[in-house]
Amino acid sequence: MTLLKEFILPRLLQWAMVIFVGVTITFLIPRLSPVNPIDQALGRLTAFQNVEPEGVLALRATLEDLYGLGGSFFDQYIAFWQRVIRGDLGPSFSAFPRPVNELIGAGLPWTIGLLGSAVVLSWVLGVVLGSLAGYFPHRLWSQVLDKVLIVVYPIPYYILAFVLLMAFTYYLPIFPLVGGAKGTPGLNWDYISSVLIHSFLPAVSIIVGATAFRFIMSKALASTETSSDYVTYAEMAAVPKRKVLFFYVTRNTMLPQITDLALSLGAIFEGALITEVVFAYPGVGSVLYNSIISADYNVIMGITLLSIVGIATASLIVDLSYPLFDPRVRFR
Amino acid sequence: MTTIIEAKNLKAYYITQAYGVERTVQAVDNISLEIQEGEVFGIAGESGCGKSTLLKVLLGAFEPPLTVVDGTVEYHFDSERINALALTDQNLRDIRWSKVSYIPQGSMHVLNPVRRIRDSFYDFITTHQQVGRRESLEITRKYLADLGLPESVLAAYPHQLSGGMRQRVTIALATILWPKLIFADEPTTALDVVVQRGVIQLLKEVQQREGSTLVLITHDMGVHANLADRIAVLYAGKIVEEADTRTILKNPRHPYTQYLIKSLPHLDERAERVSIPGRPPALDNPPTGCRFHPRCPLAIDKCRTIDPDLITVRPGHRAACHLVTEEVIHATTA
Repeated sequence: MTLLKEFILPRLLQWAMVIFVGVTITFLIPRLSPVNPIDQALGRLTAFQNVEPEGVLALRATLEDLYGLGGSFFDQYIAFWQRVIRGDLGPSFSAFPRPVNELIGAGLPWTIGLLGSAVVLSWVLGVVLGSLAGYFPHRLWSQVLDKVLIVVYPIPYYILAFVLLMAFTYYLPIFPLVGGAKGTPGLNWDYISSVLIHSFLPAVSIIVGATAFRFIMSKALASTETSSDYVTYAEMAAVPKRKVLFFYVTRNTMLPQITDLALSLGAIFEGALITEVVFAYPGVGSVLYNSIISADYNVIMGITLLSIVGIATASLIVDLSYPLFDPRVRFR
Repeated sequence: MTTIIEAKNLKAYYITQAYGVERTVQAVDNISLEIQEGEVFGIAGESGCGKSTLLKVLLGAFEPPLTVVDGTVEYHFDSERINALALTDQNLRDIRWSKVSYIPQGSMHVLNPVRRIRDSFYDFITTHQQVGRRESLEITRKYLADLGLPESVLAAYPHQLSGGMRQRVTIALATILWPKLIFADEPTTALDVVVQRGVIQLLKEVQQREGSTLVLITHDMGVHANLADRIAVLYAGKIVEEADTRTILKNPRHPYTQYLIKSLPHLDERAERVSIPGRPPALDNPPTGCRFHPRCPLAIDKCRTIDPDLITVRPGHRAACHLVTEEVIHATTA
C-alpha cells in the first residue's frame, strides 16, 4: 500500500501534469502564430474566384466550426480538451475530410517497426561493444573500434542516408529506392521480406550513428566502472573476466543506459523526419513533413501530442522500473 | 619458524613519462624482509611512505606506472616456491584467496553495489573452488556464523550495511577460503574507535583460527600494539627499523621511530605531544644520505651524504641509522 501511495501515485501524478502542460502548450503555440488557418483556407478558396461576402461569412463560420476555432479562447481550450480526451484529433486540413487519427495511424506501424528495431539494435550493439572496449581499452580491436566510431559519430545521419541511398540503389542497385514495401499486405514471406528489404537502408542510416553514440557513452561509463574499487578487487581475486565484465562493469552502467533507451523509445513517435523523407518511407515522419509544408495544424498537433504522451509515458515506465535495475533506488 | 614470504632488495618505482619528461618516484627503495609463518607482521609509517606500494608489490598486484626495478619476492608454501612478481593467470587462480588474500582499506567500496552479498561470495568462492550455488551459500553461511556475523547480511546489498558491517563482511569475503597469508591495508581506517575494536578482534580471530600469517599495514600505532608480533617501520620508501612489537614500543633505536612512539598519547600523561618536525619528503626527489636527516635533530655530517645500512642491533632487531651503527661497533670493539 505504501508502495502505491508513496512511489507509484506521485509519479502517475507527475506524468499527468507533464501531459497536461504539454497539451496546453500544444494548444497555445499555433494560436500565438500570426497566421490564421481560416484566413489561409479562405484565401486559397477565394484566390481565383469572386465569392459574395455572405458566402465568405458562411464559409468562415463552417470552417471555424470544423477546425474548432469558434468561440472565445477559453471555449476553444475546453473544446480542445474534450476532443483530446475522446481521442478525436479532428480532420486533416490538407487531406480534408480524412481524420488526423487515420493519417497518423497509417504511418505509425511503419515508424514503430523501423525506429523501434533501430533503437533497440543500436542500443544493444553500442552497450555490448562499448562495455567491451571500456573494459579492454588496450586491445588493438578496441582501439580501432574506438577511432572508427569517433569518426563516424559526428556524421549527420541524413548525410549517411544520402550516401547509402546513392551507393546501394544507384551505383550498386541492391536495395529498392523508396517506399515501405511492395505487394499486398499480409502475413506471408514475400510481403515481410519486402518490408525488411525496404527498411534496411533507412535502418542502417539510423543505426550507425546511434550505435556510435551509444558506444562512446557506454565506453566512458564502463571505463569509470573498470577503475572502481569493486572491479579492482574482483580482479585481484582472479574472478573470471567475463563475469567481472558482465556482473561488475556492465551491470553497474545499466541505470543511465536503460533511462536513455526508454527515452529514445518514447521519442520514436515523432518519427525520423529526415530519414523517412530521404527514403520516402511511409511513416509518421513523412506525415509530419507533409503536414508542415501544407500548414496542416491538426496533424502537426496530433503528432506533437503523440510524442508528448510517448516520452512522458516512457519516463514514467523508467521511473517505476528503476528499483528493478538498481537496488540503491528504493521507494522512500 | 619457517618463512612464508621473502623479499630481497626490492625496488619499486612509479615511472611516468609526460611530454618527454621522465619522473621517477622511489616508493619502495631497497627493502628486504622475511615474514614468518603464523605471525602478525605490522608495517608502520606515515602517509606517503610507500606502505601501500610495498603491499601491492608483495601481493604481486602492481600495474604500470608502478614498476619493480630490482629485487625478488617469493612465497614459500610448504616446499613450493612461487615468484610473486611474475604470476601467470593460472598462478593467480591457484594462489589468490585460497593461499594469499587481501583485505582492503575500510573506506574502500570493494563490494559490488548491485550484487547481493551472497552473490559476491559466490563469485569469489567459485573462482577458486568447484562448488555449486547451494554449496557456496552453505560455506558462506557457516563462515559468517563462525565469525559472529548476522545471517541477514547475505540477502542484503552493500549500501544497506553500515560501514563497520561492510568492513567485517569484506574481511569475511577475503578470508572465506582460509588463506595462509593475509594482507590487510589500513583495515580499520575510516571506522570509528568502537567499530575499530570489533574489526581488530575479528582480524585476530581470523588469524588465530588457522594460524594464518597476517601482514598488517596501518599508520595507527595503536592497532599495531594490539595486533602485531613484529613491526617494520617504513620511512620514505625504506625500512628504518624492524623489531618485535615490545621493542619497537619500549625501546626504539631509530630517531624516527622514537618520534613516532613519543607522539602517541598516554592515559596518565597530560603533557603536550611532540610531533615530528618538518614534512615527509617527496619521493621523486628524496634527500641524499639518510632520508630522515632533514627532520632528524641528531643528524651528523655523515647522515647528509651516506645512506645508512639496515644493521642488526641484536638478533631480531634491525635499524638503519649511523648513530646506532656506531654504537653497535663501539660495543663490539670495546
